[in-house]
Parts: sequence; structure tokens; C-alpha cells
Amino acid sequence: MMEKKGSEKWAKAVPGLLALSFLGLLLVTGREARSVEGLDNFDHQGKKLYEAGEATPEIYLSADSGDRNLASFYELRQYPGSPPRIPHKVDLSFSGNETDCLSCHAKGGYSPEFGKFVPVTPHPENSLCYQCHVPLTEEKPFVASDWQSIEPPRLGRSFLSSSPPTVPHSLQLRENCIACHTGPGAVAEIRVAHASRGNCRQCHVPAVQTDELREFQRK
Amino acid sequence: MTITIDRRRFIQSAAAGSAIAAAGAIFPGISFGAWPKVAGNTGVVSWQKTPCRFCGTGCGVLVGVVDGRAVAVKGDPNCSVNKGLCCMKGYHSVQALYGTDRITTAKIRKNGEMVEVPIQEALDLVAAKLKETRDKHGKDSVAIYGSGQWTIPDGYVASKLFKGCLSTNNVEANARLCMASAVTGFMTSFGIDEPMGCYEDIDHANVFITWGNNMAEMHPVLFSRMLANRKRRTNVKIIDFATRLTRTSQAADTSILFRPQTDLAVANAICHEIIANDWVNWNFVNEHVSFHKGKTNIGYGTEDHFAFTDQDEAISFEEYKKFLADYTPERVEKISGVPAKDIKYMAALYGDPALKVTSFWCMGMNQHTRGTWINNLVYNIHLLVGKISTPGNSPFSLTGQPSACGTVREVGTLTHGLPHGVVMNEHDRQMAAEIWEVPVANIDPKPTYHTVEMFRALDRGDIKFIWIQVTNPMVTMPNLKRYREGAKKDDRFIVVSDVYPTPTTDVADVILPSAFWIEKEGMFGNSERRTQHFAEIVKPPGEAMSDTWQIIEVARRLGFEKQFPWSKEDYIEKIWEEYRKFHAGPKHEMASYQVLRARSGVQWPFVNGKETRWRFNPQYDPACTNGKDFDFYGKKDNRAWIWARPYEPAAESPDSEYPFWLNTGRVIEHWHTGSLTRRIPVLHNAVPSGYVEMHPEDAAQLGVVNGEKVRIISRRGEIVMPAQINGRGVPPRNMVFVPFFDESYLINEVTLDAFCPISKQPDYKKCAVRLEKA
Ligand code: SF4
Repeated sequence: MMEKKGSEKWAKAVPGLLALSFLGLLLVTGREARSVEGLDNFDHQGKKLYEAGEATPEIYLSADSGDRNLASFYELRQYPGSPPRIPHKVDLSFSGNETDCLSCHAKGGYSPEFGKFVPVTPHPENSLCYQCHVPLTEEKPFVASDWQSIEPPRLGRSFLSSSPPTVPHSLQLRENCIACHTGPGAVAEIRVAHASRGNCRQCHVPAVQTDELREFQRK
Repeated sequence: MTITIDRRRFIQSAAAGSAIAAAGAIFPGISFGAWPKVAGNTGVVSWQKTPCRFCGTGCGVLVGVVDGRAVAVKGDPNCSVNKGLCCMKGYHSVQALYGTDRITTAKIRKNGEMVEVPIQEALDLVAAKLKETRDKHGKDSVAIYGSGQWTIPDGYVASKLFKGCLSTNNVEANARLCMASAVTGFMTSFGIDEPMGCYEDIDHANVFITWGNNMAEMHPVLFSRMLANRKRRTNVKIIDFATRLTRTSQAADTSILFRPQTDLAVANAICHEIIANDWVNWNFVNEHVSFHKGKTNIGYGTEDHFAFTDQDEAISFEEYKKFLADYTPERVEKISGVPAKDIKYMAALYGDPALKVTSFWCMGMNQHTRGTWINNLVYNIHLLVGKISTPGNSPFSLTGQPSACGTVREVGTLTHGLPHGVVMNEHDRQMAAEIWEVPVANIDPKPTYHTVEMFRALDRGDIKFIWIQVTNPMVTMPNLKRYREGAKKDDRFIVVSDVYPTPTTDVADVILPSAFWIEKEGMFGNSERRTQHFAEIVKPPGEAMSDTWQIIEVARRLGFEKQFPWSKEDYIEKIWEEYRKFHAGPKHEMASYQVLRARSGVQWPFVNGKETRWRFNPQYDPACTNGKDFDFYGKKDNRAWIWARPYEPAAESPDSEYPFWLNTGRVIEHWHTGSLTRRIPVLHNAVPSGYVEMHPEDAAQLGVVNGEKVRIISRRGEIVMPAQINGRGVPPRNMVFVPFFDESYLINEVTLDAFCPISKQPDYKKCAVRLEKA
């Protein structure tokens, strides 16, 4: 499934033994020992997840508008994990004022203006929205681009045939599973049927695969 | 003219009648689904650290690589600058590698046509031309013009070649256009360059005052850290002190507008109030401050060969107080348009001993014909109340470019500079000569041309050969027309190293293809004294070569193998370890190559394995030796200097013929002249073209609506561009604002090449124009 070889540099940088010591830490996303510190950074907001689960009514968790799918989800991104651009009209003065974007995207719900259920941001604590998210005001590129992206992670991958699927993406800015994986605004393919269980990471292990991990598997 | 903004009202008025927005229906656009995918990839990515390529914030990013291609970015959680968060430019930065018009081969001009040649042939020509020009016209007829986006090794080898080997001080960098006033501000107030504080100040301050600084767009990651602090702690306020309403104004608690140039008067009035109310921290002032004055009526540098040297004179506190008598809030209200009560309000915030205050500024204070003075004046405020060099109390000069500090200020790639000290100082010259292994007589003790004068010299013909790297002066020079025509003159030879075609490569005789950012190894140095290493993460395309290596190749062709002996395998490490010798000692010690490689940035002074977060404070700074609570060791008297600097008007102010101020700057989507960010589809498509921002009533009077064309005319030139009314910024009446990222609207043909006589940094924020409906 993964024929591609890591560059020589990588192979040199992470000798097998070091990689071995990472075995228990499947969520390694950096490449050196310092990544271990990074673990804290990735997972320290578990509390947020718990609270979000608590705060969302049961009925809302299981609602499904079926309106958004993965294709339209990725349509707004330059690579899996990039900040999505804004798909709807915004005022030119787009201020990023909290009451503007977050009035809809903090809690979700139905927007009569757009006739849709609103997707919920997984990181409402970051309120300078335009820092990362831009609208589109023009279609033509300045010059053509040779950019290539990568395939998004496959869904439903497990480490054992019967175990729950792993979390295939980085948790940075996406620690709150509830936001994207539940509710009527959620993307259909990644909506979970058992959202009321709340503590997602009790069963789902973050496993962002990196070259290091793969190199270890080859040995 | 002051507005304590009611946010809601501002947004409503700013949003009204926006034609472009109305047209902004949902486009299909360029998006993920349409991009080809790296073949055979299954989403497995390896990540490698680097500082962001763009602004001086210096966020740490992790670049995802698949099959030798950069395919993704995330914030580096190990980097204390941004802790895993980036802005849109950082997140999409890697797309700037892949514009289809990348320059991948060298080109030389033959019979007026640019033709592709092997890069070695182009480098032969560069060396031969340099030598020929130098032999024929003297050592100061050749020059190099670099950038705050140069890596540290780029700037280091440029200085070594030109100053050490070729004996000319014709070394400048575009940081002259962005940080020179910050440097002279530091040197005159503290005797040593770069901020005493660090970004951690944001987590401690109660009051943030932004001086002419649209941080929400220009340093977004720092700004959102301020907002997060305001949310988390209840006692945090943001005061926006500015000449136009921006996104920073929208987010600030209070916005206070002043007339351009009158920040000088307001800063003095704040000091007047601090003294009048006896908010002075006398313990601090008596122990750590001395008072000075300099020359006044110092001119604007608009004429060729303009020269100015300041002269300092010690004064007493009483004399300083007498000087301030002119600056009562009531009198300053008349000059500045800022109500006396708002001046008193700001003074009270600085004066309240219970509040920690951090001031931020960037181009508003630096691109100023009295840039050095206004830097001094804001330090005065902090010094009078002793709010400095402690967590949260910080006069903080932000940097625009990723390595203006690292490469230009620390390596000294300015005409007067050396990696340690200045060419005028014999001891500094000796040190450089020793480390460089050149005779000390090689290093000329006289500075030559600062940037504006360098391009004037090119126009006059005093300089005949110039090598331009990593910058786009044919868009960014003020009073541009003169300098473009100068560069095009017959016997001028222009070498340009770049990654994409620009108006500067258009005037080149040789174009050298450069490796971009993570296509080569290097280091940047950000605003808070942090040095950041990045490895070669992907291969450069075609014959593209690092700017450092281009200079080494030419140096060797000129016979300086001894000074440039390194091999391609480890030249960056070797250069770093050589350069590091210049900064040995507790005031500027730099981390070793190994440490830089391992960490996501290291702050200097890096002494005994520890970073120095607050300088001049013995609790944090091992260079303090006087046994007191602070040690301002940069100055001979071990004190920080308060300067009596008056208000003097701008070089050109609106009059009946040219009744509008013209202000220029950036937007969050674009980096400088846009040569990189416009090749990032999502950023270009958000802000695809330049515009002139107008006050709605001015627009109504002129009879233009959103998107209609306006002619902007100054004494130097004119351009026609679309109006933007009630967009993201709203200038006051009689001011227009134009971003400079769009090369099809060269706003610098209109601007004025006046500069601060001390720093020689031009003022891009103020000149007079008139408008016509076009
Ligand atoms: S704030 Fe500056 S350094 Fe950080 S990601 Fe944005 S452009 Fe890059």
C-alpha cells in the first residue's frame, strides 16, 4: 500500500532504533525526539471535547441534514488540513468580529439566510477568523500553478479488523471531534452514529501516519 | 477626529453598498478537487520544521513533504512564537514554490533579448562585468542590494565579498526601507539594537497600544494572541492609535485617530502629562535615565547628496521639562486632531503604576521622515514611567520581514554596518578583517550610499553595476520612475537573482535563478531576537541555486577562494560558525549550529544554554553587571537616553492643489510586492488586484462608486486604479490608502523619496496627491 520510499535524508535522520522507541506513540507527527513534547500540545484539549459533548443536546448530535459531503468539504481546501476558504458571500469589510462569523459558526443550527445547516468551527477560541479564512472574489489565477496535493486520508482504517478506526488527521485546531463529526451541519461521510458516547478518544486513537512510522513498518 | 468605535456601527457603515461584495457569488474556483494529486500517495506525509517565509513574526511551521514535493503546512507546536497557529500566508506558503513561471534557468541580455544560458556561463559574465566595472570606474562603482528576506548566510557572504574583499561599502538591503528608523531609534535611545522584550510580553500586559500599526493584518498571529489574552484575562485593553480605521481598529477597545506626522506631538504631550501628574517613576529615572537633545529642523533628504549628522547634547531634566511645555494636551489637540481628553487617557494608562503596558509599532513609525525621533519619543514614555524590560512592560518595535533582524541588522548588511559594529570604528574593522582573513586596509572606514542614495547613484552613473537579490525595488522604491529610468540607462549593468519574473527582472541584464526558501538551507532572525534554522526540505527546480552559493561562485571567480573555501555539503554550517564569532560574549552570543538545527528557533543572547527573554534586566539577562535592578549597558553612561525631539511637519503635506494625504501599505493576503503571494491561488483570488481606499464622503464628492476608476496625481507621477469604498479599511476625509502588492498599479510612481535624515528610511505613508474621476 505504500511503495514510496522516504528520501535518504529521512532514512538517515531516524535510525531504526529511534523509530522503535516511537512505537507506542502512534500519533508522532514530527520526526525527532522533540515530537514527544508535541504530544502534549496535540492532546491537551481533551477537556474541550468533553465539554462540547456535554453541551450539545442529544437530539442535535444525531441530526443529519445530509447536505455536506466530503467532496464539497475538500473542495474548499488546498490540501487536507488547510484552512478552508469561505464558500459564501461576505461583506467586503469582513471584520472577523466575533459576533459576525461566530454568531453562526460557534453553535451551528439552521441558517435561513443560506437555507442550510451551518458547520461548526472546532476552534471557536480563535476569533480572528480572517487570519486564516478568505473569501473568493475572483476566479482567474494570476499565473497557472503546478501545485499538487495529496489524497485525503482513507476513512474507516483500523489497526485490527475489529477495532475502532483511528483518527487519521492532525488534531491541531481540530481537537473538538464533536464540532465536525456530529450534528446536521456535519459532513455526511464522517458523521458518527454513536455521538452520544461523548468521549471519542476512549476508542479512537490519533494515528497520523508519517514517514518515520512507515519506515518502521518496513523493518 | 477621535472615535471610540462602536463596533457594530463601524461594521454597518463599512459594509454598506459594497458592489464588489455583491458580485461575490460562489465561484467554483481553484480547489482541492481540481488539483492533481502526487502519484501513488496515500496521505503519508513527513514533516520538517522551518520558520514561515513571510512576515517578521517568524512563526514556526511544519512543511509536509511527499515524494520531494511540499504538499501541506501546519503550525509548529514546538515553536513558542505561534504554538501551532499560523495565518493564511503561512498555511499556503508552500504553494508559492509552484507557480508555472518559476525562473529555473539563467538568462542574459544579448542584443536586447533575454536568452537562456547555463548558469555557470551567467556567473562568469557577472564576475567578469563586476571586475571590468570596478577596474574601469573604481571600487565604489559596484554595489549589492539585498533584503530582509535574505537568509543570514546570504547576507553574510555578501558583506564579506563586497566589504571585506572588494573594499566597497556599497552593501544595502531593503530593510533600509522598513527597519532603519527602528535601528537608529534603538541606537540613540539604548546604544544597542533590537527589542529588549519578547512575545511573551503579550501574555503579561494589561494595556496594548498600537502606534500606527495594523497588527490584525500585518502580524496576525501576535494580534490573535492579544485577543486570546483579552478573552482569558479580564483586565486587558487594546488601544489603536492610528491615522485610518483598519481591522485593528475594529477589534480594539478604543480607536484614536491622529493627523499624519502628529504622533510626534502626541507622544510629547503624553510625556508632558506624565510629568504634570507626577506619574514619573523617579527611582527608575534617577538611576537609569539621562536626558539629551539633538539638532532640529533637520530636512527631508529629497535632494541628491543630502547629508546629515546629528549631534547630541546632554540636558537636565528641568530643560527637558521646559522643552515639553509646548506640548500641553490642549495645544497638541490643535495640531493632531486628538482631543486633549484622549491624550490624557493614554497618558493615564502609561502612568498608572498598576498597569503593565506594551506598545507595538512597525511601519507607521519607521516609514516616517522623523522615524528615529518618533521611536525615541515612544521609548521616552516607557522610560519616564519605568515600564520596560520586565514581563508585560515593553516598548516593542515589530519587524516587517522574516530576517530584517537576522540578516540586515545583526549581520550589518547596510553601508555603515559590519557583522559586529560599524565600518567607522577601527576596532570593529580589525575584528572583521581578522575573521574574514583580509587585510584591515581592505575595509573602507567611510560609508557610501544608503538605499535611496544608492539608486540615485545608479541613475547618476556613479554606480554602474548592481546585483539585486531577493527583493523587487522596481516596485518598491519611492519616486519610482526616476529609479527605473536610471536602472535602464545604457551603461548600467543589473544582475537580478529571483524566483519569479518581476518588474525588477524586467530591467535586468542577467537573471539568476534562485532557490526559494526551503529549497536551500539557511537561517532567519525574527522580531524578538530569535534565530531560526531551516534545512533544504525540497530540491530547487532546474538550475536554481541558493543566493549564498551564487555569491560564493562569483567570489571564487574573482580570486577569493581563500575567503570562500566551503563545500556545498556543509557551507551553511561553516558560514554560521564563522559568523557566530562576531557575536561572542553575553550581549549577543548566538546558539551553535547544532542547537539551531534541533530547535524551533533560539533567542539570543544565548548564554550558557539559556535564552535571554528580557534584556537589561539582571533577572533574565546575564550581560547585566552593575548590581542594580536594571543595566542599560548599551550606552557608555549605562543609562537609557530620553531625547527632546520636537514635532516637525511632514516633507509634503496636502495643500489646495494636492489636497489629499496618500498612505501606502499592505493587506493580510499579500506579501510585499505580491510576486510570491499572487502565485498562491487562494490568496490571489481573495484580493486579486490593487485599489485605492477612500472615505465614502470623498468618494461621493468625486462622484465615484465602488470599483470605478480614480486618477491619483502627485507632483511626481500619476496612476489610475479602482476605488474601494467601505472596504476593510476606512481612511479619514482627505486621505487615501493604496496597498502596493499589485505590480500593475505602481503606486510608488506617485510617492515621494523623502526620508528620515538620521535613519535614511523613506516615508511611504505621507505625501500629497489630488484625485480625479478617471
Ligand atoms: S503571521 Fe507572519 S510568520 Fe506567522 S504565518 Fe502569518 S505571515 Fe507567516
